Amino acid sequence: MANKIKVKGGEALLLSLIEEGVDVLFGYPGGQVIPIYDHIYDYKDRIHHILTRHEQGAVHAAQGYARATGRVGVCLATSGPGATNLMTGIADAMLDSTPLVCITGQVPSSLLGSDAFQEADTISMTMPITKWNYQVTTASEIPKAVAKAFYIARSGRPGPVVIDIAKNAQVEEMEFAYKPCISLRSYIPRPMLQPETIARAVEMINAAERPLVLVGQGVKLAGAEQKMIELAETGNLPMTTTLMGISAIPNDHPQFVGNLGMHGNLAANQMTQHSDLILAVGMRFSDRITGDVSQYAPQAKIIHIDIDPAELGKNLRVDLPIHADAGDALEALKVGLKHKDRSQWFDFARQQWEIERERLSHTTDHKNQYISMAEVIRSLAETEQGNAVIVTDVGQNQMFAALYSKFNRTRSFITSGGLGTMGFGLPAALGAKLGVPDREVVAVLGDGGFQMTMQELGTIMQNRIGVKIIILNNTYLGMVRQWQELFFNHRYSFTQLENPDFSLIAKAYDIPSERIMRPEELNGALERMKQASGSYLLEIVVLPEENVFPMVPAGASLSDLIFNS
Amino acid sequence: MNKEYIIIAFTENQIGVLNRITSCYLRRKINIESLKVSESPIKGISMFVISAFTTAETIEKVAKQIRNIIDVLQVNFYDEAELITQEIALYKISSRPFRENGRVDALSRQWGTRLIEFSSKYVVLEKTGTREEIEELKQELEANNLLQEFTRSGSVIIHRDSVFDQLHETIENGTKQQR
Ligand SMILES: Cc1ncc(C[n+]2csc(CCOP(=O)(O)OP(=O)(O)O)c2C)c(N)n1
Ligand SMILES: [Mg+2]
Repeated sequence: MANKIKVKGGEALLLSLIEEGVDVLFGYPGGQVIPIYDHIYDYKDRIHHILTRHEQGAVHAAQGYARATGRVGVCLATSGPGATNLMTGIADAMLDSTPLVCITGQVPSSLLGSDAFQEADTISMTMPITKWNYQVTTASEIPKAVAKAFYIARSGRPGPVVIDIAKNAQVEEMEFAYKPCISLRSYIPRPMLQPETIARAVEMINAAERPLVLVGQGVKLAGAEQKMIELAETGNLPMTTTLMGISAIPNDHPQFVGNLGMHGNLAANQMTQHSDLILAVGMRFSDRITGDVSQYAPQAKIIHIDIDPAELGKNLRVDLPIHADAGDALEALKVGLKHKDRSQWFDFARQQWEIERERLSHTTDHKNQYISMAEVIRSLAETEQGNAVIVTDVGQNQMFAALYSKFNRTRSFITSGGLGTMGFGLPAALGAKLGVPDREVVAVLGDGGFQMTMQELGTIMQNRIGVKIIILNNTYLGMVRQWQELFFNHRYSFTQLENPDFSLIAKAYDIPSERIMRPEELNGALERMKQASGSYLLEIVVLPEENVFPMVPAGASLSDLIFNS
Repeated sequence: MNKEYIIIAFTENQIGVLNRITSCYLRRKINIESLKVSESPIKGISMFVISAFTTAETIEKVAKQIRNIIDVLQVNFYDEAELITQEIALYKISSRPFRENGRVDALSRQWGTRLIEFSSKYVVLEKTGTREEIEELKQELEANNLLQEFTRSGSVIIHRDSVFDQLHETIENGTKQQR
């Protein structure tokens, strides 16, 4: 926009958001953002504002939107309690590299530091959980701050940024002109490839007998799913995914061998331990992936590709770090890669899968009169045919969803990985649905986590958001109960829940619902949920004390997977 | 093994950078021994000198995390031996010995200090030296019951090779160097 126009700061903010292509804004009003809301009133047709029921709902919805679309999620909250209510989502987005621009109101700059009404030091509080943050105290700073915020949020390793706007800056007049930010001298979002390093990596992969690719979320963030698959096909390399990488590779790809980590598959974890070369792409070797680091992948040389240089060598020794965008590196690696027969190695994967199936089949015997959570997710995968976006909460529901969902499209598994935030699922699902309205979006929630943010049913009702909701009601904080059963001698300390009548709650929000408790009801209910044109809540009463297996106990080696209690 | 490491960082002169940098230490519960922020020879760019006791492995990770901060242009870390480090200290001492024999200048010279202020109650001396030299004089004055007050500047450092070459390159190219 070349011509300057005279507007107030609040309007400049909205014009800047429009310049950045923002179509949905999740927010909650309050005293220090009223001027911005006054302008939103005029811009209703250009920016779709979604009023959530809690600021935590707004930020998680923005995360769900960002994760489903690949665009920047935007949320808006007032100062003080509005800003502090965003914290959990911002921290979650920081750990899960989710691009967010979070806008908070702030007391007028003349009152900063005086403990004014609803003043909180948002900048200090969000410093360790943002990629960048900035306080605006004059209207003229707004376009530049917004431009910088979007540039930083979406480039390099994406992450959340906060813009804290003092009330006086919202009402002052300024000359508006917008110039997108395209570079900063103190920031390299797209590192240059080092040809020698790539050549060395190709050599290492070609020399390997038992290579294994670990696909992380970085592959999705780089939009490099296809390049990943091409590389793996070129070199005949088996692929695994981290929790955050799930859905980057279709489950039915013949070279896909399963999920990694604490509740990953036997094949993926055993192959890690037997591999002689690990190619890790856009992931960060978190403790949930490695188990005991000192016993991790004892025979493997490790090549680690990441766009964030601070991740290289952070958690374990890496033989060849590659500081690069995943797409750039994968494309370069493909050149010179040799196709090798690896039938023995793939046989090993198949054997491990058989062992896993066999060992888990015993644990399902006694469940006949109850529905098992594992069975719910398997049936859901069948009903949705791999086309749905699955958004999970945290706990057993999440791990079962990760283990048994099937995907044939990327960006289809949305979960709180790094922070493990209960309450994430429902608002993230509604945000995802608004981002990809043509796709089926199913929230898979625990009875505990649902109750942390269930007020967002109000948002779903008011905005007619057609998200499907499954509550896996096991009347327990199941994942904690599982740890208490396995590691604390069955002492169930404060993990049992007395739940409300979820169908009455759904009714209160005018959301059609159904409650089932017998295995033979499952398929029909899932089909009815799928056919529902709007939102739908399906409560599934499940086996109360089902455990998620396989499991690598915290701190144990990946070799020591357990299959039963 | 823990030893002293010094991080030298050049940053945009922006509010908040200091907090982001110190938080990289705080997160890992590393106590900062000394920290100095000053304007670098290039206008608009600040220079941070931070010393802390930690391991070689940890300081490398801390340096990488500091380098990731948006407003940070360059980060290097050193152990003490790689840098020329001096401190400036001010010693406020009793004027008694001087009144007794009137040998202010001689004593001051003997200690390697410079006389800053002289009154009937006290004398202020300034000394520039290594941390050990500064410490040694402090102990001597204390042992003789002369020391009333003492302050020191923290490390003022200069590298034997230039830490600025890379920075100039960054500024000229307009982008941070990849490391
Ligand atoms: C905000 C938050 N508080 C506490 C926890 C610890 N936690 C992890 S899983 C879990 C139990 C979740 O119970 P529920 O939502 O019913 O899911 P289930 O495991 O039963 O499927 C708890 C309490 C957490 N992850 N997040
Ligand atoms: Mg539960």
